Amino acid sequence: MSQEIVRPSYRSRAFQQFFDENRELLTIYGILMLIIIIGTVLSPDFRSAANLFNVLRQAVALGMVSIGQTFVILSGGIDLSVGAAISLTAVYTAGLMKLYPEMTLPIVLLILLMGLTIGLFNGTLVTRLKIAPFIATLATGSILQGLVLLNGKRPSGKIAPGWEYFAEGMVGPVPFPVIVLAILIILAIIVIHRTVLGRNIIATGGSERIARYSGIRTTLVLNSAYIICSISAVLTGLYLTSRMAIGDPQVGGLSYDRFDLDSITAVLIGGTRLGGGKGSVIGTIAGVLIVTVLNNVFNLVGVDTFYQWIVKGIIILVAVAAYSTRKSAE
Amino acid sequence: MSDKVVDMRQITKVFPGVVALDSVNFDCDRGEVHALVGENGAGKSTLVKILSGVYEPDGGEILLNGKQVRIPSPYAAQQLGISIIYQELNLLPDLNVAENVFLGREPRNFLGFLDIHSLENQAHDVLHRLGVDINPRTPLRRLTVAQQQMVEIAKAISLNAQIVIMDEPSATLGGQDLERLFEVITALKKQGVTVIYISHRLAEIFQVADRVTVFKDGRVVGTSPIAEIDRSTMVRMMIGRSFSETFPARGGSPGEEVLSIQNLTSGRALQDITLSVRRGEIVSLAGLTGSGRTELARAIFGARRIDQGEIRISGKPVKMKNPRDALKNNIGFLTEDRNEEGLVLGLSVQHNAALPSLKQRQRWGVLNLSAEEKVVKEKVDELSIRTPSLGQGVEFLSGGNRQKVVLAKWLITNPELLIFDEPTRGIDVGAKSEIWHLMRSLADQGKGILMISSELPEVIGMSDRIVVIHRGRVVGEIAGVQATEEQVMMLATYGE
Repeated sequence: MSQEIVRPSYRSRAFQQFFDENRELLTIYGILMLIIIIGTVLSPDFRSAANLFNVLRQAVALGMVSIGQTFVILSGGIDLSVGAAISLTAVYTAGLMKLYPEMTLPIVLLILLMGLTIGLFNGTLVTRLKIAPFIATLATGSILQGLVLLNGKRPSGKIAPGWEYFAEGMVGPVPFPVIVLAILIILAIIVIHRTVLGRNIIATGGSERIARYSGIRTTLVLNSAYIICSISAVLTGLYLTSRMAIGDPQVGGLSYDRFDLDSITAVLIGGTRLGGGKGSVIGTIAGVLIVTVLNNVFNLVGVDTFYQWIVKGIIILVAVAAYSTRKSAE
Repeated sequence: MSDKVVDMRQITKVFPGVVALDSVNFDCDRGEVHALVGENGAGKSTLVKILSGVYEPDGGEILLNGKQVRIPSPYAAQQLGISIIYQELNLLPDLNVAENVFLGREPRNFLGFLDIHSLENQAHDVLHRLGVDINPRTPLRRLTVAQQQMVEIAKAISLNAQIVIMDEPSATLGGQDLERLFEVITALKKQGVTVIYISHRLAEIFQVADRVTVFKDGRVVGTSPIAEIDRSTMVRMMIGRSFSETFPARGGSPGEEVLSIQNLTSGRALQDITLSVRRGEIVSLAGLTGSGRTELARAIFGARRIDQGEIRISGKPVKMKNPRDALKNNIGFLTEDRNEEGLVLGLSVQHNAALPSLKQRQRWGVLNLSAEEKVVKEKVDELSIRTPSLGQGVEFLSGGNRQKVVLAKWLITNPELLIFDEPTRGIDVGAKSEIWHLMRSLADQGKGILMISSELPEVIGMSDRIVVIHRGRVVGEIAGVQATEEQVMMLATYGE
């Protein structure tokens, strides 16, 4: 009897497995592609190479702060103080650079130290004083915004010579800040997927008690997440100061154009679970690009900001509803 | 057929990839206690979920008192007089007993305000019907788990339920509490209420049920009056092969002490505890729920404050302020509640198993993923954990396999002492035996094992020594080979 050996097709199975495991990510990127295609059809300007880099450049600020926000949300928290932290950075950086134009490096280090302090402050409120992250960071944000406005209500200060390179520099055809963002993304992916800290953040977000029972210093882990988030906010502030060449007390955002809300939007659209334990930076970046590309298309087509807010709100609802209904179906 | 309270015919339910129920017939008489048994995933939970309106069947019909009905939602089930009591109680800890019993159906006076007087009176009446003595004004959080369960049953009864489904009601109860539950079930029977009783503990089914229906792989293997079936027949029907609840043979002579506790006191829960566990030995901690068993385990693991006394690990006195310290001293703790305290649901097998030992496989904080995969793979093979891949989310594994993942997670840390709190709770019969054999082989490898269990056959069958605690004190120690269930029960219940 002749025997025919039927081998399963491993290649298609591997593809199937990849698809199953990354179904959510693929969906988000699919939506991003869809928006890009719609933009291409709607506006000829959208297609231009200049606009492409423009979009990427616009994505830098939101991208930086959203990477940090991803860490905090993964750990089971939320950071509502990033918008104010960005404004405070802008005001202090431009103020200090105007006074001491030749001291760029010490100023930047000082500002980064400020970011660390803000993160530690948030982390302490959450871990030691056991204040719910929402309340703790809301209060921190309020304090920081107060400090910003104490300093002055109008854009002020000046940036040190050469500091504009952070936002305006070009490496060949690629804007320097886009490269910075790319490096930060890679770093964040490595930290989340390849380091003890990343695993500990996800485990703590999944269940703080199990993490503690597994010998993880959850206090340290949560503090680290908030510090990473605040430092990324401060970096965003430094970048925006470089781009605007002045310290704008409103750069972190007002009303519904706030970096804290936008970064949370991006993280949630990107599939990170509010409450922690599950998510990815790759998803967050898709969320950032969706928000940015939408804004870009709307601006090119000439749609009012207020409509953009409406669309943004609807997108959050649709994205989060899609994730939570899928979860309950499982 | 009209004397059948419930008559489910040819019920079929299909989930993506699985036929959960395949043309199942099931019926109950008025005032009958009908037990459902079967391994996890055999279909009993799906059946009661259909009856309680959580799922709708894909085929078949349901007759209540001879009339065909549809049960599209839990609310509809309630209206039809069907109540279900889940293993996890659904009560609000900050409300009192009466408020919980009548949650969402509070009696109101003519002005539409809450009628607290009538609320408390009605709650009292319902509890009285069950023969339960609980003050309706007591906040729920002050009640024991067993009392809370009574409140849950009272809630079901107050809905005029003619059918009460209990899903593993005894899983969290021991000794006396179990007796109380049986008394309540008897009271329900007398009032003509039908009880559908799901349990993994076969002994209590013989004690409480009138009939039993055995499920396997989504089908009914058979239904029988309890008097006409014996335990081994039932087990054979459940697992489809002959099976005896055999425990692994006890080990040889134990080595030096791994754990030694001297005069440990912690709050009110633990008073002056002295005990030891030696290498190669399985010591069980027997006692009723609330006797201090779990508190002692937590104290050893650094998850509970110690007021007085000393703990020595391998002869060395240690201070354990938190679980981290316990880990450093090579202690592993398999908690009672695997879902809340054991495994992070949503994370994969590999990520869960690697969690406590991440530090062993890193340089500058960066993980060596291939080393991690290797070490997890080794344990998965060693413990024969059935999972399609290391990347599988633990929530998709069966109870037995989850428990093995928890075990793998601790074994990777290479512990000297393992604490098992209710190692086989909620696990089906076949997997139980596997866990028992694993525990014994770990002891044979020279590890010390401290086990907490509410199941007496498990305590008797597994232990080299049994330490009985009663109200936070050690009241006796019995060699495992000599112990009888009666002896342990007497000590645990009366402390003498």
